[in-house]
Amino acid sequence: MMAQIRNLISMLVKKWGPIFIATITGLFVLIGYLFPNPFLVDYQGRPTELRDVLVGWAVIVAAFVFVLGVFNIARVHGGRVLRRRRGWFYSLVLLCAMLLGSIPSLLGISTRLGGDVPIQETLNYLIFDCVIGPLGASLAALVAFTLALAAFRLLRARRGWGDVILGWFFVLIVAGVLLTSTPLVGLDWLPLALIRHEAVNVMGMAGMRGLLLGVVLGTVITALRILSGGDRPHSEF
Amino acid sequence: MNTHAWATISLAISGLVLGLVVVAQWLMRKRGKALPAIRPLPAFQNLQNEVKQAAESGKTIHIALGSGGLSGENAVTSLAGLQVVEALADAAVAYDVPPIITVGHPTLLPLAQDAMRRAYEQRGLAESYKPSMVRFVAPTPMGYAAGAANQVAAGGVMSNVMIGHFGPQVSLIADAGARLGLPQSAAAASPGAIGALYPVTNRLAVGEELYAAGAQMTGEHRYLASLTAQDILRLILALVILVLAVMQS
Repeated sequence: MMAQIRNLISMLVKKWGPIFIATITGLFVLIGYLFPNPFLVDYQGRPTELRDVLVGWAVIVAAFVFVLGVFNIARVHGGRVLRRRRGWFYSLVLLCAMLLGSIPSLLGISTRLGGDVPIQETLNYLIFDCVIGPLGASLAALVAFTLALAAFRLLRARRGWGDVILGWFFVLIVAGVLLTSTPLVGLDWLPLALIRHEAVNVMGMAGMRGLLLGVVLGTVITALRILSGGDRPHSEF
Repeated sequence: MNTHAWATISLAISGLVLGLVVVAQWLMRKRGKALPAIRPLPAFQNLQNEVKQAAESGKTIHIALGSGGLSGENAVTSLAGLQVVEALADAAVAYDVPPIITVGHPTLLPLAQDAMRRAYEQRGLAESYKPSMVRFVAPTPMGYAAGAANQVAAGGVMSNVMIGHFGPQVSLIADAGARLGLPQSAAAASPGAIGALYPVTNRLAVGEELYAAGAQMTGEHRYLASLTAQDILRLILALVILVLAVMQS
């Protein structure tokens, strides 16, 4: 008997509960967006919508998920350091950087207890301006090189004639757009701006619109499937 | 009409079409009629076999779910990527190939971990499940791409799968796979990522094809119905655009 009750509770909690909560919450948020009508009052006495309250709760949960993410990083890289696996030193550097990066935020807690605000702000700027910014910029530069390398691979790796023609067409379009974007002295009589406009704003935009319309349709249908409980990534089904 | 009215109408039409397709397919199945076949997509066709090959070679597969999460406009794209994890999880457990799944947003972390845990539990191997097979790399797209590329380059990976929300930074991950000569499959919806992935792999699902991952890999009726509904809606949309263009000219 106890086992049956336990099974029933487990089924309710793991299977039906998440579907019920996700569907009802999703519908409320969707209806709140389609028919905005504030009928609740927030803690400051201002009129508010139910969807805003629900989205606010979701933001709080998402914030806790970030903590989970930090634990996941610590677990994966901590394990690598402890077992001295390949690349363990980089994992150690990452863990140290994570600890250092958390110092300004921890100081933020101390400011509420009368700590020094300028020091916290200076440290935050220091980390963003001197570490994260330059690292991001150098990675972005690396992306440009990997893209160029990929373009060369495109010409080499594609096997069929169709792929070769398509590959060359791709390279020609890119080269054409880049060349026509440059002011070429002595070639002012050529309709370069027109060629660039046709390539970017007509051909490019037409393809982009077709792509985005397909994506939107896919998004809407997948969202409806999740809302109706047809797709249940959050449940044990 | 304002934006809300248009959104309501388009959602109502989409819901109606989806509902009608689900009912029609249910009736077709009941009468023993064949359901519409789906066009084979190279991006998803061979993935189950790659898990098998990874088992034979003693390696694993890397699944990059992108830097999108559940709390933004890329939520559905990320969930479509998760369908691949769900579809591959069973094969991965059966062949004892724990995949490396990298995520760039922590909201995807519990969902991907849950998909893997369920697959292990269904096989009665709950004790073999390790949460660290799903790895949160970094919250920024660039940091995520660099970290996931490092996972691929570190070795021990037989196949590289990239599905979800990416930007042009995905070329870092694809480049790491290409240098090792790994078979790579990818599915992306954003034009920047498609441009970066197109030169690297022949097995690329573009745009709406990303949302066909579940149908292609599992063949489940719910996914087939949504694909059919998607096709009908596309047809309606194309007709509306054509009619409006003719009316305006």
